[in-house]
Amino acid sequence: MRLTLPVVKVLSALLAEPDTERYGLDLMKLTNLPSGTLYPVLHRLQEAGWLEADWETIDPAVEGRPARRYYRLTADGATAARQALAELRVLSRDARPVRGGAEPTGAPAW
Amino acid sequence: MVTRRVAEVMLSAAVRRWPVELREDLRREWSAELHVLATERRRLRMLGFAASLALRRNDGPLAGRRPVRGPVGRTAAALLLAPVVGVAIVLLSAIVMNVVVGQFLLTAVGWGTQAQMPLWTAMTAGLAVVLARFAARWGSRSALIGPLRTALGIMLPVGVVIVGIEYAMSAEGLVRAAPGLLSWLTFLTLVLWGASSLAGRGRIRAAWWFGVVGALLAADLAVVLTVVNQIPADPGTIVGGAPQFDTVDRVSAPLWLFVTWTDWSFGLPRPTPWEIFLITDVVVTEAVLYLAVTPYALAYVISAARSSRDEPGTARPPRASIA
Repeated sequence: MRLTLPVVKVLSALLAEPDTERYGLDLMKLTNLPSGTLYPVLHRLQEAGWLEADWETIDPAVEGRPARRYYRLTADGATAARQALAELRVLSRDARPVRGGAEPTGAPAW
Repeated sequence: MVTRRVAEVMLSAAVRRWPVELREDLRREWSAELHVLATERRRLRMLGFAASLALRRNDGPLAGRRPVRGPVGRTAAALLLAPVVGVAIVLLSAIVMNVVVGQFLLTAVGWGTQAQMPLWTAMTAGLAVVLARFAARWGSRSALIGPLRTALGIMLPVGVVIVGIEYAMSAEGLVRAAPGLLSWLTFLTLVLWGASSLAGRGRIRAAWWFGVVGALLAADLAVVLTVVNQIPADPGTIVGGAPQFDTVDRVSAPLWLFVTWTDWSFGLPRPTPWEIFLITDVVVTEAVLYLAVTPYALAYVISAARSSRDEPGTARPPRASIA
């Protein structure tokens, strides 16, 4: 997995609460990424097996909206993400802090 | 309603850029998010959501295309793409305005015709602000260094695109519009240079004020020059009691840009309705293009200058692969 800044932001957001499922707009808010950046990242993470997605099970007529797609880290994905972010953290320890950077959701969860 | 339709059209375009087997799920997923934004009446957010998906290049494996690499490539792509998007904004706004006025307003209310320019202007301005938000992000990663270089980097592609459009519409029209166009390109470049210099010194609010006021003055001056170059103030020789030329009184010149955008004289005696028609007929394309282009140009230079101030002489944030 190539760790670009958007990927780091998404992984950080998901790792902050690993058991919580997130939908697209939710992740956009957490990561401050535009939709055009977020969805390709989500796709790459799914392709790598780090992320899985499921459709919300609701009755659209009752809820008044279509079902959303929810994302969560797989067990392997969570482990790999923690490890990758930890390695990145070691690599950038001596570098200057990245503005608006790798910890968009507050304290890192790894 | 209209914004939702526009957003849906952009989503359809975005979906087509993904592999066939993913499209149905993506369309369903994005439509669900769009529905929520539409229900909450967050129209700008809805347009931004759809526009980002439609405009964003897909990353490597999705589109099978080689993405633009490195800060220089990204900067060039942004600066070349932005004026084209600005023109698309003008066209899209014109189409929507025509549909709204022709299909709804003309049959429903008596002031449908008067609503044409305000609608076109408002939609162009709204979409231009959306583009400016993207441009601010691009600007923060700009490879151009220095206020003048950044200003020129923005305005050269803008000049090429606008001159090309004028030429495509009419070579004679381009010659007549040349003084106004040249003055706008020159003065806006100077304004961007000044705004960038201010932002580079940390005076962000001053940069915005200087940029917005300066850009308005540059556009107003360009409109005045174009009108003066094409419509005389003197009616010429009176033949058989009839003047030989249509005229526009210069006393209202400072208002012409705003008159063109709004089709309204702000309750003042000049310009008269006939003068407004003449002015709008001559400069409407330029006036709307200036409106579409200026916000992103300002956002880009200020963001670029701000970013270079925040990270003086340092490399960009690490983006390297560790895998």
